[in-house]
Amino acid sequence: MHVVTTDAAQDPRELIEAYYDAGWTDGLPVVPPTDASVEAMLAAGGLRGDEVIGEIAGRNQVVVADKVAINAVMAGCRPEYVPVVVAAVKGLCHPDFAYHGPASSTGGSAMVLIVNGPIVRALGINSGNNAFGQGHRPNATIGRAVRLVMMNALNTRPGLLDRATLGNPGKYSFCFAEHEDDHPWEPLHVSRGLAAHDSAVTVYASNSLYQVYNQLAATPEPLLRCFADALCNLGVPNMKGFNQSLIVLAGEHADVLRTSGWSRRKVQDFLIEHARRTVADFKRAARLPGPAEAADETTWRRLFERADDILLVCAGGRAGSWSACLPGWGNKWTRAVTVRIESGRNA
Amino acid sequence: MKLFDPTSKPVERAVDLAPRPASLEGLRLGLVDNTKFNSDTLLAMLAERLARRHGMTVALTSRKRSPSHEIDEAAVKTLRAQADLVVSGIGD
Repeated sequence: MHVVTTDAAQDPRELIEAYYDAGWTDGLPVVPPTDASVEAMLAAGGLRGDEVIGEIAGRNQVVVADKVAINAVMAGCRPEYVPVVVAAVKGLCHPDFAYHGPASSTGGSAMVLIVNGPIVRALGINSGNNAFGQGHRPNATIGRAVRLVMMNALNTRPGLLDRATLGNPGKYSFCFAEHEDDHPWEPLHVSRGLAAHDSAVTVYASNSLYQVYNQLAATPEPLLRCFADALCNLGVPNMKGFNQSLIVLAGEHADVLRTSGWSRRKVQDFLIEHARRTVADFKRAARLPGPAEAADETTWRRLFERADDILLVCAGGRAGSWSACLPGWGNKWTRAVTVRIESGRNA
Repeated sequence: MKLFDPTSKPVERAVDLAPRPASLEGLRLGLVDNTKFNSDTLLAMLAERLARRHGMTVALTSRKRSPSHEIDEAAVKTLRAQADLVVSGIGD
Protein backbone atom coordinates (compact mmCIF):
# COMPACT_ATOMS: atom_id res chain seq x y z
CA MET A 1 0.00 0.00 0.00
CA HIS A 2 1.54 3.28 -1.06
CA VAL A 3 1.51 5.76 1.80
CA VAL A 4 2.73 9.32 1.83
CA THR A 5 3.86 10.74 5.14
CA THR A 6 4.11 14.46 5.71
CA ASP A 7 5.05 16.60 8.67
CA ALA A 8 1.79 18.46 8.91
CA ALA A 9 -0.31 18.42 12.04
CA GLN A 10 -2.99 15.79 12.74
CA ASP A 11 -5.85 18.22 12.30
CA PRO A 12 -8.63 16.48 10.28
CA ARG A 13 -9.20 19.68 8.35
CA GLU A 14 -5.60 19.66 7.24
CA LEU A 15 -5.87 16.02 6.26
CA ILE A 16 -8.91 16.78 4.14
CA GLU A 17 -7.11 19.70 2.53
CA ALA A 18 -4.08 17.50 1.87
CA TYR A 19 -6.24 15.11 -0.16
CA TYR A 20 -7.56 18.08 -2.12
CA ASP A 21 -4.02 19.34 -2.67
CA ALA A 22 -2.96 15.95 -3.98
CA GLY A 23 -5.78 16.00 -6.54
CA TRP A 24 -7.34 12.83 -5.17
CA THR A 25 -10.93 13.95 -4.54
CA ASP A 26 -14.03 14.30 -6.68
CA GLY A 27 -14.46 17.88 -5.48
CA LEU A 28 -16.20 16.96 -2.26
CA PRO A 29 -14.29 16.44 0.98
CA VAL A 30 -13.13 12.88 1.55
CA VAL A 31 -12.87 10.83 4.71
CA PRO A 32 -9.14 10.56 5.41
CA PRO A 33 -8.20 6.87 5.60
CA THR A 34 -6.34 5.29 8.50
CA ASP A 35 -4.59 1.95 8.80
CA ALA A 36 -7.56 0.63 10.74
CA SER A 37 -10.22 1.85 8.33
CA VAL A 38 -8.42 0.51 5.25
CA GLU A 39 -7.80 -2.83 6.94
CA ALA A 40 -11.46 -3.01 7.91
CA MET A 41 -12.44 -2.54 4.27
CA LEU A 42 -10.12 -5.31 3.11
CA ALA A 43 -11.33 -7.63 5.87
CA ALA A 44 -14.98 -7.00 5.02
CA GLY A 45 -14.27 -7.84 1.41
CA GLY A 46 -12.19 -10.90 2.29
CA LEU A 47 -9.42 -9.35 0.21
CA ARG A 48 -5.64 -9.29 0.27
CA GLY A 49 -4.25 -5.85 -0.34
CA ASP A 50 -2.35 -6.89 -3.44
CA GLU A 51 -5.21 -8.86 -4.93
CA VAL A 52 -6.04 -7.86 -8.51
CA ILE A 53 -9.68 -6.83 -8.79
CA GLY A 54 -9.60 -6.04 -12.50
CA GLU A 55 -7.67 -4.46 -15.31
CA ILE A 56 -8.21 -2.35 -18.39
CA ALA A 57 -5.94 -3.86 -20.99
CA GLY A 58 -5.88 -0.93 -23.40
CA ARG A 59 -4.70 1.36 -20.67
CA ASN A 60 -2.23 -0.98 -18.98
CA GLN A 61 -4.18 -0.20 -15.84
CA VAL A 62 -4.62 -2.69 -12.99
CA VAL A 63 -6.88 -2.20 -9.97
CA VAL A 64 -5.69 -3.86 -6.77
CA ALA A 65 -7.71 -4.33 -3.61
CA ASP A 66 -5.89 -1.89 -1.38
CA LYS A 67 -6.67 0.95 -3.81
CA VAL A 68 -10.33 -0.02 -3.80
CA ALA A 69 -10.24 -0.07 0.00
CA ILE A 70 -8.61 3.36 0.25
CA ASN A 71 -11.05 4.92 -2.19
CA ALA A 72 -13.99 3.28 -0.41
CA VAL A 73 -12.90 4.81 2.89
CA MET A 74 -12.47 8.19 1.21
CA ALA A 75 -15.98 7.93 -0.25
CA GLY A 76 -17.50 7.35 3.18
CA CYS A 77 -18.41 3.68 2.74
CA ARG A 78 -18.99 1.38 5.65
CA PRO A 79 -16.84 -1.77 5.39
CA GLU A 80 -19.81 -3.99 4.60
CA TYR A 81 -20.37 -2.03 1.38
CA VAL A 82 -17.05 -3.19 -0.07
CA PRO A 83 -18.36 -6.36 -1.77
CA VAL A 84 -20.73 -4.16 -3.80
CA VAL A 85 -17.93 -1.77 -4.76
CA VAL A 86 -15.65 -4.67 -5.71
CA ALA A 87 -18.34 -6.30 -7.86
CA ALA A 88 -19.02 -2.97 -9.59
CA VAL A 89 -15.32 -2.48 -10.36
CA LYS A 90 -15.24 -5.99 -11.83
CA GLY A 91 -18.15 -4.94 -14.01
CA LEU A 92 -16.30 -1.85 -15.23
CA CYS A 93 -13.33 -4.04 -16.13
CA HIS A 94 -15.39 -6.63 -18.01
CA PRO A 95 -14.57 -6.65 -21.74
CA ASP A 96 -18.25 -6.25 -22.69
CA PHE A 97 -18.38 -2.97 -20.80
CA ALA A 98 -15.53 -1.68 -22.98
CA TYR A 99 -14.49 0.80 -20.29
CA HIS A 100 -12.46 3.24 -22.33
CA GLY A 101 -15.37 4.59 -24.39
CA PRO A 102 -17.98 5.29 -21.76
CA ALA A 103 -15.36 6.44 -19.27
CA SER A 104 -13.52 8.84 -21.54
CA SER A 105 -16.04 9.97 -24.14
CA THR A 106 -17.19 13.53 -24.62
CA GLY A 107 -20.63 12.04 -23.85
CA GLY A 108 -19.80 12.15 -20.15
CA SER A 109 -21.51 9.03 -18.87
CA ALA A 110 -22.54 8.29 -15.34
CA MET A 111 -21.84 4.75 -14.26
CA VAL A 112 -25.24 3.61 -13.08
CA LEU A 113 -25.12 0.85 -10.46
CA ILE A 114 -28.32 -1.17 -9.96
CA VAL A 115 -28.20 -3.49 -6.95
CA ASN A 116 -30.39 -6.56 -6.57
CA GLY A 117 -30.88 -9.39 -4.11
CA PRO A 118 -30.70 -9.92 -0.36
CA ILE A 119 -27.81 -7.48 0.09
CA VAL A 120 -30.17 -4.61 -0.70
CA ARG A 121 -32.06 -5.09 2.56
CA ALA A 122 -28.94 -6.04 4.50
CA LEU A 123 -27.18 -2.79 3.60
CA GLY A 124 -30.26 -0.57 3.44
CA ILE A 125 -29.73 0.49 -0.17
CA ASN A 126 -32.63 2.70 -1.15
CA SER A 127 -34.98 1.47 -3.87
CA GLY A 128 -37.97 3.60 -2.91
CA ASN A 129 -38.76 7.29 -2.73
CA ASN A 130 -36.01 9.45 -4.18
CA ALA A 131 -34.13 6.38 -5.38
CA PHE A 132 -31.90 8.53 -7.58
CA GLY A 133 -31.61 11.31 -5.02
CA GLN A 134 -29.82 12.22 -1.88
CA GLY A 135 -30.13 11.03 1.69
CA HIS A 136 -29.06 7.37 1.76
CA ARG A 137 -25.52 6.54 2.74
CA PRO A 138 -25.05 3.27 0.81
CA ASN A 139 -26.46 4.75 -2.38
CA ALA A 140 -24.33 7.87 -2.08
CA THR A 141 -21.08 6.30 -0.97
CA ILE A 142 -21.00 3.09 -3.05
CA GLY A 143 -21.50 5.08 -6.24
CA ARG A 144 -18.98 7.66 -5.09
CA ALA A 145 -16.40 4.98 -4.28
CA VAL A 146 -16.69 3.55 -7.78
CA ARG A 147 -16.16 6.99 -9.33
CA LEU A 148 -13.15 7.62 -7.07
CA VAL A 149 -11.70 4.27 -8.14
CA MET A 150 -12.20 5.39 -11.75
CA MET A 151 -10.46 8.69 -11.12
CA ASN A 152 -7.64 7.47 -8.92
CA ALA A 153 -7.02 3.83 -9.75
CA LEU A 154 -8.09 3.87 -13.40
CA ASN A 155 -6.61 7.28 -14.18
CA THR A 156 -9.92 8.65 -15.47
CA ARG A 157 -9.57 12.31 -14.52
CA PRO A 158 -11.53 15.25 -15.90
CA GLY A 159 -9.63 16.94 -18.68
CA LEU A 160 -7.26 14.02 -19.10
CA LEU A 161 -8.78 10.59 -19.78
CA ASP A 162 -12.24 11.86 -18.88
CA ARG A 163 -13.11 14.13 -21.80
CA ALA A 164 -16.76 14.83 -20.92
CA THR A 165 -18.09 17.91 -22.70
CA LEU A 166 -20.66 18.59 -19.99
CA GLY A 167 -20.71 15.46 -17.84
CA ASN A 168 -23.67 15.04 -15.56
CA PRO A 169 -24.33 15.06 -11.82
CA GLY A 170 -24.58 11.25 -11.83
CA LYS A 171 -20.84 11.20 -12.32
CA TYR A 172 -20.42 11.96 -8.61
CA SER A 173 -22.44 8.91 -7.66
CA PHE A 174 -25.28 6.91 -9.16
CA CYS A 175 -26.31 3.83 -7.24
CA PHE A 176 -29.77 2.55 -6.38
CA ALA A 177 -31.47 -0.75 -5.66
CA GLU A 178 -34.23 -2.34 -7.63
CA HIS A 179 -37.60 -2.47 -5.90
CA GLU A 180 -38.25 -6.21 -6.01
CA ASP A 181 -41.51 -6.24 -4.05
CA ASP A 182 -44.62 -5.95 -6.22
CA HIS A 183 -42.42 -6.22 -9.31
CA PRO A 184 -44.34 -6.92 -12.53
CA TRP A 185 -41.75 -9.54 -13.46
CA GLU A 186 -38.65 -11.24 -12.14
CA PRO A 187 -35.95 -8.90 -10.82
CA LEU A 188 -33.30 -7.56 -13.18
CA HIS A 189 -30.51 -9.88 -12.05
CA VAL A 190 -32.75 -12.93 -12.50
CA SER A 191 -33.67 -11.75 -15.99
CA ARG A 192 -29.94 -11.65 -16.67
CA GLY A 193 -29.29 -15.23 -15.60
CA LEU A 194 -28.66 -15.14 -11.86
CA ALA A 195 -30.74 -16.74 -9.09
CA ALA A 196 -33.23 -14.80 -7.01
CA HIS A 197 -31.19 -15.54 -3.87
CA ASP A 198 -28.05 -14.07 -5.46
CA SER A 199 -27.05 -10.50 -4.84
CA ALA A 200 -25.77 -8.63 -7.87
CA VAL A 201 -24.83 -5.27 -9.23
CA THR A 202 -25.49 -4.25 -12.82
CA VAL A 203 -23.15 -1.62 -14.23
CA TYR A 204 -24.54 0.52 -17.02
CA ALA A 205 -23.20 3.66 -18.72
CA SER A 206 -25.70 6.44 -19.36
CA ASN A 207 -25.06 10.03 -20.35
CA SER A 208 -28.46 11.41 -19.44
CA LEU A 209 -31.62 10.89 -17.44
CA TYR A 210 -35.04 12.21 -18.17
CA GLN A 211 -38.22 11.60 -16.32
CA VAL A 212 -41.33 10.43 -18.15
CA TYR A 213 -44.69 11.63 -16.88
CA ASN A 214 -48.08 10.12 -17.56
CA GLN A 215 -50.92 10.35 -15.06
CA LEU A 216 -53.76 9.15 -17.27
CA ALA A 217 -52.53 5.93 -18.83
CA ALA A 218 -54.31 2.94 -17.32
CA THR A 219 -53.08 0.42 -19.89
CA PRO A 220 -49.60 -0.32 -21.22
CA GLU A 221 -49.94 1.02 -24.76
CA PRO A 222 -50.28 4.76 -24.09
CA LEU A 223 -47.77 4.61 -21.27
CA LEU A 224 -45.18 2.81 -23.37
CA ARG A 225 -45.72 5.21 -26.27
CA CYS A 226 -44.42 7.96 -23.95
CA PHE A 227 -41.26 5.98 -23.32
CA ALA A 228 -40.80 5.22 -27.02
CA ASP A 229 -41.22 8.88 -27.88
CA ALA A 230 -38.85 10.04 -25.15
CA LEU A 231 -36.16 7.60 -26.28
CA CYS A 232 -36.39 8.70 -29.92
CA ASN A 233 -35.81 12.41 -29.60
CA LEU A 234 -33.69 13.94 -32.33
CA GLY A 235 -30.84 14.69 -29.96
CA VAL A 236 -30.37 11.08 -28.91
CA PRO A 237 -26.78 10.23 -29.78
CA ASN A 238 -27.27 6.75 -31.11
CA MET A 239 -30.07 7.01 -33.61
CA LYS A 240 -27.92 5.24 -36.17
CA GLY A 241 -29.14 2.10 -34.58
CA PHE A 242 -29.39 -0.33 -31.79
CA ASN A 243 -28.59 1.47 -28.65
CA GLN A 244 -29.05 -0.04 -25.19
CA SER A 245 -31.39 1.89 -22.92
CA LEU A 246 -32.53 1.64 -19.33
CA ILE A 247 -36.11 2.30 -18.31
CA VAL A 248 -36.84 2.66 -14.60
CA LEU A 249 -40.51 2.13 -13.79
CA ALA A 250 -41.76 3.70 -10.60
CA GLY A 251 -44.82 2.77 -8.56
CA GLU A 252 -47.94 3.74 -10.50
CA HIS A 253 -46.43 2.89 -13.86
CA ALA A 254 -45.18 -0.46 -12.57
CA ASP A 255 -48.73 -1.07 -11.29
CA VAL A 256 -50.16 -0.44 -14.77
CA LEU A 257 -47.85 -3.05 -16.26
CA ARG A 258 -48.31 -5.57 -13.45
CA THR A 259 -52.09 -5.48 -13.58
CA SER A 260 -52.06 -5.68 -17.39
CA GLY A 261 -50.39 -9.06 -17.34
CA TRP A 262 -47.93 -8.00 -20.04
CA SER A 263 -44.67 -9.93 -19.92
CA ARG A 264 -41.28 -8.24 -19.85
CA ARG A 265 -40.72 -9.49 -23.39
CA LYS A 266 -44.02 -8.08 -24.61
CA VAL A 267 -43.08 -4.66 -23.23
CA GLN A 268 -39.68 -4.86 -24.89
CA ASP A 269 -41.20 -5.90 -28.22
CA PHE A 270 -43.66 -3.01 -28.08
CA LEU A 271 -40.81 -0.57 -27.48
CA ILE A 272 -38.73 -2.08 -30.30
CA GLU A 273 -41.67 -1.54 -32.63
CA HIS A 274 -42.52 2.00 -31.54
CA ALA A 275 -39.15 3.57 -30.75
CA ARG A 276 -38.50 4.75 -34.29
CA ARG A 277 -38.30 7.84 -36.49
CA THR A 278 -38.21 8.44 -40.20
CA VAL A 279 -35.02 9.10 -42.09
CA ALA A 280 -36.64 12.37 -43.17
CA ASP A 281 -36.92 13.46 -39.52
CA PHE A 282 -33.24 12.83 -39.02
CA LYS A 283 -32.24 14.58 -42.24
CA ARG A 284 -34.29 17.69 -41.46
CA ALA A 285 -32.47 17.90 -38.15
CA ALA A 286 -29.09 17.31 -39.82
CA ARG A 287 -28.61 14.13 -37.87
CA LEU A 288 -28.16 12.44 -41.21
CA PRO A 289 -26.55 14.16 -44.19
CA GLY A 290 -28.41 15.30 -47.27
CA PRO A 291 -31.87 16.61 -48.07
CA ALA A 292 -34.97 14.64 -47.13
CA GLU A 293 -36.23 12.75 -50.19
CA ALA A 294 -39.77 11.51 -50.70
CA ALA A 295 -38.82 7.95 -49.81
CA ASP A 296 -37.23 9.14 -46.56
CA GLU A 297 -40.68 10.10 -45.26
CA THR A 298 -41.64 6.43 -45.07
CA THR A 299 -38.25 4.91 -44.31
CA TRP A 300 -37.97 4.17 -40.62
CA ARG A 301 -35.02 3.75 -38.33
CA ARG A 302 -35.56 1.84 -35.12
CA LEU A 303 -33.62 2.57 -31.99
CA PHE A 304 -33.55 -1.02 -30.79
CA GLU A 305 -32.83 -4.32 -32.42
CA ARG A 306 -33.22 -6.95 -29.71
CA ALA A 307 -35.14 -7.36 -26.46
CA ASP A 308 -31.99 -7.21 -24.39
CA ASP A 309 -31.30 -3.75 -25.79
CA ILE A 310 -33.95 -2.60 -23.30
CA LEU A 311 -33.28 -2.95 -19.59
CA LEU A 312 -36.46 -2.74 -17.52
CA VAL A 313 -36.01 -1.97 -13.84
CA CYS A 314 -38.40 -1.03 -11.02
CA ALA A 315 -37.49 1.60 -8.45
CA GLY A 316 -38.87 4.73 -6.88
CA GLY A 317 -41.80 5.71 -4.70
CA ARG A 318 -45.22 4.14 -4.78
CA ALA A 319 -46.93 7.45 -5.46
CA GLY A 320 -46.47 9.68 -8.46
CA SER A 321 -46.76 9.20 -12.19
CA TRP A 322 -43.07 9.37 -12.92
CA SER A 323 -40.68 6.94 -14.42
CA ALA A 324 -37.35 7.52 -16.14
CA CYS A 325 -35.42 6.80 -19.32
CA LEU A 326 -31.65 6.58 -19.24
CA PRO A 327 -30.25 6.24 -22.75
CA GLY A 328 -27.10 4.21 -22.96
CA TRP A 329 -23.78 5.53 -24.09
CA GLY A 330 -22.55 4.30 -27.43
CA ASN A 331 -24.01 2.38 -30.28
CA LYS A 332 -23.50 -1.15 -28.95
CA TRP A 333 -20.00 -0.11 -28.02
CA THR A 334 -20.71 -0.83 -24.38
CA ARG A 335 -23.16 -3.22 -22.80
CA ALA A 336 -24.50 -3.43 -19.27
CA VAL A 337 -22.69 -6.02 -17.19
CA THR A 338 -24.20 -7.86 -14.22
CA VAL A 339 -21.81 -9.21 -11.57
CA ARG A 340 -22.73 -11.47 -8.66
CA ILE A 341 -21.82 -9.93 -5.30
CA GLU A 342 -19.93 -12.42 -3.20
CA SER A 343 -20.16 -11.98 0.53
CA GLY A 344 -16.64 -11.12 1.51
CA ARG A 345 -15.22 -12.59 -1.66
CA ASN A 346 -15.58 -11.85 -5.36
CA ALA A 347 -13.71 -14.75 -6.90
CA MET B 1 0.18 13.14 9.06
CA LYS B 2 -0.23 9.99 7.01
CA LEU B 3 -1.83 10.10 3.58
CA PHE B 4 -2.93 6.95 1.81
CA ASP B 5 -2.30 7.22 -1.92
CA PRO B 6 -5.49 6.10 -3.71
CA THR B 7 -3.95 6.23 -7.18
CA SER B 8 -2.45 3.62 -9.48
CA LYS B 9 -0.10 4.37 -12.30
CA PRO B 10 -0.36 2.49 -15.57
CA VAL B 11 1.81 -0.59 -15.75
CA GLU B 12 4.78 0.30 -17.88
CA ARG B 13 5.14 -1.69 -21.06
CA ALA B 14 7.99 -1.52 -23.55
CA VAL B 15 6.71 -0.81 -27.04
CA ASP B 16 8.98 -0.91 -30.07
CA LEU B 17 8.05 1.68 -32.65
CA ALA B 18 7.95 0.50 -36.23
CA PRO B 19 10.81 1.85 -38.32
CA ARG B 20 9.74 4.99 -40.19
CA PRO B 21 9.86 4.70 -43.99
CA ALA B 22 12.36 6.95 -45.72
CA SER B 23 9.87 7.56 -48.51
CA LEU B 24 6.15 7.07 -49.08
CA GLU B 25 6.57 6.22 -52.76
CA GLY B 26 4.74 3.04 -53.74
CA LEU B 27 4.10 1.82 -50.21
CA ARG B 28 1.26 -0.54 -49.28
CA LEU B 29 -1.24 1.26 -47.09
CA GLY B 30 -3.32 -0.30 -44.29
CA LEU B 31 -6.38 1.53 -43.00
CA VAL B 32 -7.94 1.00 -39.57
CA ASP B 33 -11.49 2.29 -39.42
CA ASN B 34 -12.60 2.73 -35.82
CA THR B 35 -16.27 2.95 -36.98
CA LYS B 36 -16.83 6.52 -35.82
CA PHE B 37 -19.15 8.52 -38.04
CA ASN B 38 -17.31 9.52 -41.25
CA SER B 39 -14.20 7.59 -40.27
CA ASP B 40 -14.48 5.46 -43.42
CA THR B 41 -15.07 8.54 -45.59
CA LEU B 42 -12.10 10.41 -44.20
CA LEU B 43 -9.77 7.43 -44.51
CA ALA B 44 -10.87 6.86 -48.11
CA MET B 45 -10.15 10.51 -48.96
CA LEU B 46 -6.76 10.28 -47.31
CA ALA B 47 -5.94 7.05 -49.17
CA GLU B 48 -6.95 8.62 -52.47
CA ARG B 49 -4.65 11.58 -51.83
CA LEU B 50 -1.74 9.32 -50.84
CA ALA B 51 -2.28 7.25 -53.98
CA ARG B 52 -2.27 10.37 -56.15
CA ARG B 53 0.77 11.97 -54.56
CA HIS B 54 2.90 8.95 -53.72
CA GLY B 55 1.56 6.02 -55.71
CA MET B 56 0.48 4.23 -52.56
CA THR B 57 -2.05 1.41 -52.75
CA VAL B 58 -4.56 0.32 -50.14
CA ALA B 59 -3.55 -3.21 -49.20
CA LEU B 60 -6.39 -3.71 -46.73
CA THR B 61 -8.91 -1.96 -44.52
CA SER B 62 -9.65 -3.28 -41.04
CA ARG B 63 -12.78 -2.24 -39.15
CA LYS B 64 -12.61 -2.27 -35.38
CA ARG B 65 -15.47 -3.74 -33.34
CA SER B 66 -16.07 -0.25 -31.97
CA PRO B 67 -14.05 2.84 -31.10
CA SER B 68 -14.01 1.62 -27.49
CA HIS B 69 -12.41 -1.70 -28.26
CA GLU B 70 -8.81 -2.41 -29.06
CA ILE B 71 -7.94 -3.68 -32.49
CA ASP B 72 -7.76 -7.47 -32.31
CA GLU B 73 -4.47 -9.34 -32.57
CA ALA B 74 -5.41 -11.12 -35.80
CA ALA B 75 -5.97 -7.78 -37.53
CA VAL B 76 -2.63 -6.50 -36.25
CA LYS B 77 -0.92 -9.60 -37.61
CA THR B 78 -2.51 -9.15 -41.03
CA LEU B 79 -1.68 -5.46 -41.14
CA ARG B 80 1.89 -6.20 -40.20
CA ALA B 81 2.18 -8.74 -43.02
CA GLN B 82 0.39 -6.84 -45.76
CA ALA B 83 0.99 -3.13 -45.14
CA ASP B 84 4.06 -0.95 -45.01
CA LEU B 85 2.22 1.95 -43.36
CA VAL B 86 -0.97 2.04 -41.31
CA VAL B 87 -3.33 4.96 -40.77
CA SER B 88 -5.94 4.73 -38.00
CA GLY B 89 -8.80 7.12 -37.39
CA ILE B 90 -10.68 9.07 -36.34
CA GLY B 91 -11.07 10.97 -33.09
CA ASP B 92 -13.36 13.76 -31.98
